[in-house]
Amino acid sequence: MSGFLSRNRLILLAYVGMVVLLLVTALFSPGFLSESNLRSTVVLAAFVGIVALGQTFVIIGGGIDLSIPWVLNSAAVLMTLLCGAHDLPLLWVAPLLLAGGAMIGLINGVGVAVFGVPPIIMTLAANVILQGLVLVYTGGSPTPSAPDLIKFLAVGRVGPIPVIALIWAALALVASVLLSKAPFGRHLYALGTSATVAEFSGVPTVRTTVLTYVGSGLTAALAGMLLTGYSGQAYLGMGDSYLFTSIAAVAIGGASILGGSGHYLGTIAGALVLTILTGLLPALNLSSGALLVVYGAVILFTVSIGSETFATLWNLMFKNRRNRED
Amino acid sequence: MSAEAVEATGRSDRTEQPKSPMRGWLLDRAPFLVACLMLLVIVAIYGSLQKGVFTLDEINLDTAAAMTLMLAATGQTIVLIRGGIDLSIGGMISLGTVIAATQFGTDPLSIVLWSGIILAIGFAVGAVNGLLISVLKLQPFLVTLASWSILNGVAMLILPTDGGAVPGWWVGFAYAQVFGLAAPVWMLIALIAFWYWFRATRLGVTIQATGSNEKSSFLSGVSITRINVITYGLSGLFAAAAALYLTTQTGAGSPTIGKDYILPSVAAAVIGGVSLFGGRGNLLGTVIGAFILTLIGNLVFVLHVSSYWQPVMSGAILLIAVLASSMAEKSARGLEQ
Repeated sequence: MSGFLSRNRLILLAYVGMVVLLLVTALFSPGFLSESNLRSTVVLAAFVGIVALGQTFVIIGGGIDLSIPWVLNSAAVLMTLLCGAHDLPLLWVAPLLLAGGAMIGLINGVGVAVFGVPPIIMTLAANVILQGLVLVYTGGSPTPSAPDLIKFLAVGRVGPIPVIALIWAALALVASVLLSKAPFGRHLYALGTSATVAEFSGVPTVRTTVLTYVGSGLTAALAGMLLTGYSGQAYLGMGDSYLFTSIAAVAIGGASILGGSGHYLGTIAGALVLTILTGLLPALNLSSGALLVVYGAVILFTVSIGSETFATLWNLMFKNRRNRED
Repeated sequence: MSAEAVEATGRSDRTEQPKSPMRGWLLDRAPFLVACLMLLVIVAIYGSLQKGVFTLDEINLDTAAAMTLMLAATGQTIVLIRGGIDLSIGGMISLGTVIAATQFGTDPLSIVLWSGIILAIGFAVGAVNGLLISVLKLQPFLVTLASWSILNGVAMLILPTDGGAVPGWWVGFAYAQVFGLAAPVWMLIALIAFWYWFRATRLGVTIQATGSNEKSSFLSGVSITRINVITYGLSGLFAAAAALYLTTQTGAGSPTIGKDYILPSVAAAVIGGVSLFGGRGNLLGTVIGAFILTLIGNLVFVLHVSSYWQPVMSGAILLIAVLASSMAEKSARGLEQ
């Protein structure tokens, strides 16, 4: 465990930052640490966390997924159109939509891994094409109503714990096992560190790359359905803000955008930090403009701490102190 | 994309001359030629369905419509050739329109003054991006994502919702004509002239060399920090120019409008054959890419289909363009071996 922490100093820092942020927020608005407020923070963070799960895998593998917003939005819109407010159709609609999300991921992954299209361009094209198709299909009007079962999954509770927190925890467990214990995780880190070296060492690079995008399509579709349950309807553009937050959560969680490092445990802290910040600003009477400034500053701060330059400084300070002790 | 990333994909070595010069020349320009072909097809379809497409008026109108994207994409092209990416232009465009809409007075002097200030802010913001990227050795994607957020936030603090105003004569700028050509067409001519001058300068050559191989550029004595500061500074400057031009089109400021230009500016460059891996590209291609993306809107209109088909078509064109360039690159490497 200590080996894990020393390798992932940045993840630890993200959690420390999160706790500090919680305490600061509690200082400014005493009601923040109340049970109901913490619960709603976790619920909102869960959506960011679930979307960012796929993004974490893709970024560790050295790519990026910009198609998340409209995969999420397509799943949300299609679910309300196919199910209306009824639970029963979910039996076939939910698997179908998850498969659809995976399919988009498959197309992205094949474009990147087989045809050599840069990830930014491949997933950007997938995003705008999906956006156009959904707009054409719906004629641009929002689709109200969500099935009760989905509403229960998104806002319901088991005792004091929100159902979505349980879903998030289960996904986090699966993701962590995949990254830390499964061959897929080893392949993924190798691929993200150097695709060429990974290829020559026998890592199935094409399959691993494709799988990360498939995973991202899956989590985006899942988040789209759950988010519809949360807001009670699917509206156009509901996924747009999740592009920025998913990348920001991964970056704050200590992963390098170049790939090869990071862990989903860090992303969880990143999602919580972003959500707590959103809650902090109303307490300080700050506008959404200020929130964007703070988001930007936090991202810059965390990536600076993770940078080579800071690592060198860190080592220098550490070594100097040790020398003095001698 | 850093030097490591470029090396990992094995695309850094382009110094060898291909054996067949003619085929090599064609392959080198394949993405650009594909873009030209796509533009021709679009113009042909558009021209056969709509009267009066092949007139000066149409050129004036289309150039006026595409100019904001072209200006934004000019900065993006320079950054992409350097091997980076600039997402902060979205924030800078929003901030520029917001400052213009709140600060422009009625007298020309105040407008000239504030235009200068906006351009200076653009360069300064870009220079800070460049500094952060080189001094802290950070990834351009994340640095400019963060500064996009900050600039957008500042724009929202200055003007929370769309509004403000610029003087009437400023709005008429795009309709001013000299020798039958509207001001935006003259701007385009100036932009292309600037490009051919710029890429032959010592600075332009160094930016391109650094984009194709950062390590060897550094080893031959180039200050990477200086190059980054200037490259991203220019990108910020062009984003500010795009913002000023945008206010002549909209007549107001918008704290959120900039995000509509971030990814399209990358798309326009990539459609025009600018490589995301650095070292390769030409503003002429980017201009054609911007025209393609703008004319798709006209095409959707004359085809009488839902305007929502526009993103579908631009996505498809982007994919065709990038597949063409990746295939050309593959066969070019085949030639070299």
